[in-house]
Amino acid sequence: MAFCQQFLLGSPSSVYVHPRLDRTRRLHNEKTASSSSSSTSIIISASVSPAPSPSENGKSKNIFSVRRDSTKTVFLPILSAVSGLLLPFVGGGSGDGSSGGGGWFNFGGSGGGGGGGGSGSRPCLSYAIASEEERSTWDNHGLPAKVPIALSKLSGLKRYKVSEILFFDRNRKVTVEGTEDSFFEMVSIRPGGIYTKALLQKEVETLATCGMFEKVDLVANAKPDGTIGVTVSFVESTWQSANSFRCINVGLLPQSKPLEMDPDMTDKELMAYYGALESDYEKRINRSRSCLLPNTVYKEIVTMLGEEGKVSARLLQGIRDRVQKWYQDEGYACAQVVNFGNLNTSEVVCEVVEGDITELAIQFQDKLGNIVEGNTDLSVVRRELPPQLCKGHVFNIEAGKQALRNINSLALFSNIEVNPKPDEKNEGGIIVEIKLKELEQKSAEVSTEWGIVPGRNGRPTLASIQPGGTISFEHRNIAGLNRSIHGSVNSSNLLNPQDDLTFKLEYVHPYIDGVSNPKNRTFRTNVFNSRKLSPVFTGGPGVDEVPAIWIDRAGFKANITEAFTRQSKFTYGLVCEEITTRDETSCICKNGSRALPSGGLSFDGPPTSLSGTGVDRMAFLQSNITRDNTQFVNGTIVGARDSFQLDQGLGIGSKLPFFNRHQLSMTRFIQLKDIEEGGKAAPPVLVLHGRYGGCVGDLPSYDAFTLGGPYSVRGYNMGELGACRNILELAAELRVPVRNIDTYAFVEHGTDLGSSKDVKGNPTEFFRRVGHGSSYGAGVKLGLVRAEYAIDHNAGTGAVFFRFGERF
Amino acid sequence: MSLSMQKARDWTGIRGFPNATQNKLHELLEKLKYDKVNTLTILVMGKGGVGKSSTVNSLLGERVTYVSAFQSEGLRPMIFPRVLAGFTLNVIDTPGLVEGGYVNEQSLDTIKRFLLDKTIDVLLYVDRFDSYRVDNLDRQIIKAITDTFGKKIWKRSVIGLTHAQLSPPDGLSYDDFLARRSETLMKVIRSGATIKNREIQDYDIPIALIENSGRCTTNDDLEKVLPNGICWIPNMMKTITEVISNGSKAIYVDQKLIDGPDPNLRGKIFIPYILAFQYFFVVKYIKGSIMGDIKKEKKPLWQLRDGF
Repeated sequence: MAFCQQFLLGSPSSVYVHPRLDRTRRLHNEKTASSSSSSTSIIISASVSPAPSPSENGKSKNIFSVRRDSTKTVFLPILSAVSGLLLPFVGGGSGDGSSGGGGWFNFGGSGGGGGGGGSGSRPCLSYAIASEEERSTWDNHGLPAKVPIALSKLSGLKRYKVSEILFFDRNRKVTVEGTEDSFFEMVSIRPGGIYTKALLQKEVETLATCGMFEKVDLVANAKPDGTIGVTVSFVESTWQSANSFRCINVGLLPQSKPLEMDPDMTDKELMAYYGALESDYEKRINRSRSCLLPNTVYKEIVTMLGEEGKVSARLLQGIRDRVQKWYQDEGYACAQVVNFGNLNTSEVVCEVVEGDITELAIQFQDKLGNIVEGNTDLSVVRRELPPQLCKGHVFNIEAGKQALRNINSLALFSNIEVNPKPDEKNEGGIIVEIKLKELEQKSAEVSTEWGIVPGRNGRPTLASIQPGGTISFEHRNIAGLNRSIHGSVNSSNLLNPQDDLTFKLEYVHPYIDGVSNPKNRTFRTNVFNSRKLSPVFTGGPGVDEVPAIWIDRAGFKANITEAFTRQSKFTYGLVCEEITTRDETSCICKNGSRALPSGGLSFDGPPTSLSGTGVDRMAFLQSNITRDNTQFVNGTIVGARDSFQLDQGLGIGSKLPFFNRHQLSMTRFIQLKDIEEGGKAAPPVLVLHGRYGGCVGDLPSYDAFTLGGPYSVRGYNMGELGACRNILELAAELRVPVRNIDTYAFVEHGTDLGSSKDVKGNPTEFFRRVGHGSSYGAGVKLGLVRAEYAIDHNAGTGAVFFRFGERF
Repeated sequence: MSLSMQKARDWTGIRGFPNATQNKLHELLEKLKYDKVNTLTILVMGKGGVGKSSTVNSLLGERVTYVSAFQSEGLRPMIFPRVLAGFTLNVIDTPGLVEGGYVNEQSLDTIKRFLLDKTIDVLLYVDRFDSYRVDNLDRQIIKAITDTFGKKIWKRSVIGLTHAQLSPPDGLSYDDFLARRSETLMKVIRSGATIKNREIQDYDIPIALIENSGRCTTNDDLEKVLPNGICWIPNMMKTITEVISNGSKAIYVDQKLIDGPDPNLRGKIFIPYILAFQYFFVVKYIKGSIMGDIKKEKKPLWQLRDGF
């Protein structure tokens, strides 16, 4: 005890808060990091957290931390020299030189106090090492149990195992179990750890200098099992009560040079010295930038100050926690309260390092992680970065995540990391480091498959076994500007590929207005062919199978897409194509056909092409504007989506086709109940959908609008309701989550507006279709599959359907 | 087609009619000639088995088409021109319009082509008097006829109801039954031909009753007479002549009518205006709402709270 007293007396009351303070914060960071890393190989730098535990502090890569283990550390303890009483103390190492009622408070990093200090400057590290080495062996205290022993009475040779830590507040006269006291985080002793007398003494010293306590000492209690309990008895530091609060960002302020203090100063000199300190601090405050902290938090803290009366160490701890919590919650992962100044005045000044970005570095890595010169133009990456990630802004983890998402959407990189790193050259600054691993530029792929078709009696015949396959290649990121060429050839019968060879060759040229231009326009051109079954030549209900008509299209497209937002875009371009209509035997066919009651086929159906020959060529302008502001609210889509598509014939091609074919579709996803975002429960949503399509001028049957089908009127087959010149579809769907399963009910109606007769040959009537129809039903979503029961209102019968994907 | 095209012959059949009927017919023809009408072409259409061919036979007083109770009808239309004192009467018999419960477009198509370059003065749409109900198929037939010849043909038409010699069921009087039957039929015709309520006046389609059976009652003058006392042959001819002189135009069947109006041509000249409208109103509107979305977009606080 006596020793403790002495120690305390001799110790300066100026202070240094133990770095372990940051333990909780650190864990918090780890959590954010793990949740942010996506399932692919992208890590928003899982490394966004500093070292997980103090004992590893020295070894781990401290990517996020503003603090470092180097001795030249960071946040110099700053003085608030107020009211002559306050005592200057600069840097931990020179601590002995100061005296008097301490007035400042530092939450600096590990080793923060160690301006020039020796062993004392890095206490946590040395403890940690000590406890690691001696984990296995410890000595019995060899004393009678239940005897309190002053620290000085302990043997210097023994290694004691601490089994319990208690806190005794001398003012309040209460003893608290260690882990429950808010001061626990200040103490580096942990129950179960093994400590020597020297270490314990050092601990007391550290506690005494941290500024939280006016008085502090340790008393050991001998336990029957040979271990000791440690009681920290303390008197909390308090300062004059304050009624206002100020938070400043001291992030990039240059370190203030400590004024030399001559121990032989006269009173007058001393006064001048304090005055200088005071004005220095005043200047520092003035130079600092105001914090991001919002008024609400300010008010909260002022209330806290008002309630407490005196400013106590615990109160400061609380303020620090509140401020840091706000920063953490808002995603300012690098922000930290480093110091409290101006104590013993009416205003508490909280100094925060917010994490100002001093540099944005983009690096490319090869497969082994070596830094290489990348192929990608840096401006391609840079345009994807939110401005908040650039120099001069405060680092926010959300901005980092957004950068990650944006860069990922370029699909150029196999691995993306966004790491904030402390700036070595610029104290308090953050370098945002973006590490990218580029994908292979060229790739080619061949895949093959066998096709077997069951023969006449259900058994596959040898002749039906066909080798099929796809050959594709891609050249990505040409010239580092994300231009690409992609081609693929596919045939289901390689022995006779002329039968069904489909190919596609596409060239994409983004940033046609320049990479640095915020206007985002992409030029695309492709050569294609496709083969589709025409839903125009489909029978109505009760009609025997209608001989299928295949529509082959081959041609090229060139268009420009202007992206306004990620989802809203405007595309316009030219399409030149040759359309060939074929029957089931791949012969060109000119008219649709249907089975006669006599069993024969009548070939006098609607003409399949505009020219009447079965082959049409045409060039037309195609444009599409889509407005899409939908977003996900707890996994359910909410918002509005409108799109207008226009095909404008130019009079170029067979029979000089001149037409204006247009479609307008509008969909609203209306959230019916306000719910908390980020929760699990999805809101009920009402979907309203309307689609109008029409064509003025030449309309070949393959371009007629078809009614019926999973994306038109559910409950009917594709084209079962008709093929027409004008079309109107209306649909409503109510989506209600029931116990995490999405259920829905819908009503749909589609009509040809009497325009079926305006399609040449009237395919609707020829194939005995009604031309309009309604349906209603209900279903559940099972993952990607929709299972629904839909009632066809024309026939009045229902059926169960399974579909992939969404209707809207 | 050459088979069905017959040379104009003298209308000898008229002599088979009773004198009173002959006199009435002559009177009507004189009246037509007075109105400077020298030819009269009657197109007979209807479902199969309602008695079209029999009606033609009755009308001409000749057995021009072979009718048997169970045999299906001819597959192509036939024209029977008859000349009487400088007046030509053409009667066109057509195959039934229904096949397998649907309108047989093929036979309609044949009829259309057969009628090319001919003028139809009167359409005689034949149905049975003694059927009690009409259905969607009737509507479909009317619609098909309308789509082929245009709505105007109904200004030039007469509804002929065969099997008119019947005793109405449920103690209805003959006239009541006639009124009911014609009303239901009219409704179907109006809906099939899309005759609107305000147009009913313009499309006043008269009804003529027909009884082709040999056992048809005759009156003292040996004229075929119906239960309501009307001699149907002269009465039908009278109705037809009235329709001709109601001021409407005869239907001339040309290639254009057969093809129907080309829907691909309709509105073509407006395309530039449509395009302009689409650009200035639709595209611009959507673009505007996108810009609105961008402005309204809820930005996360960290984006608003800039780091200066």
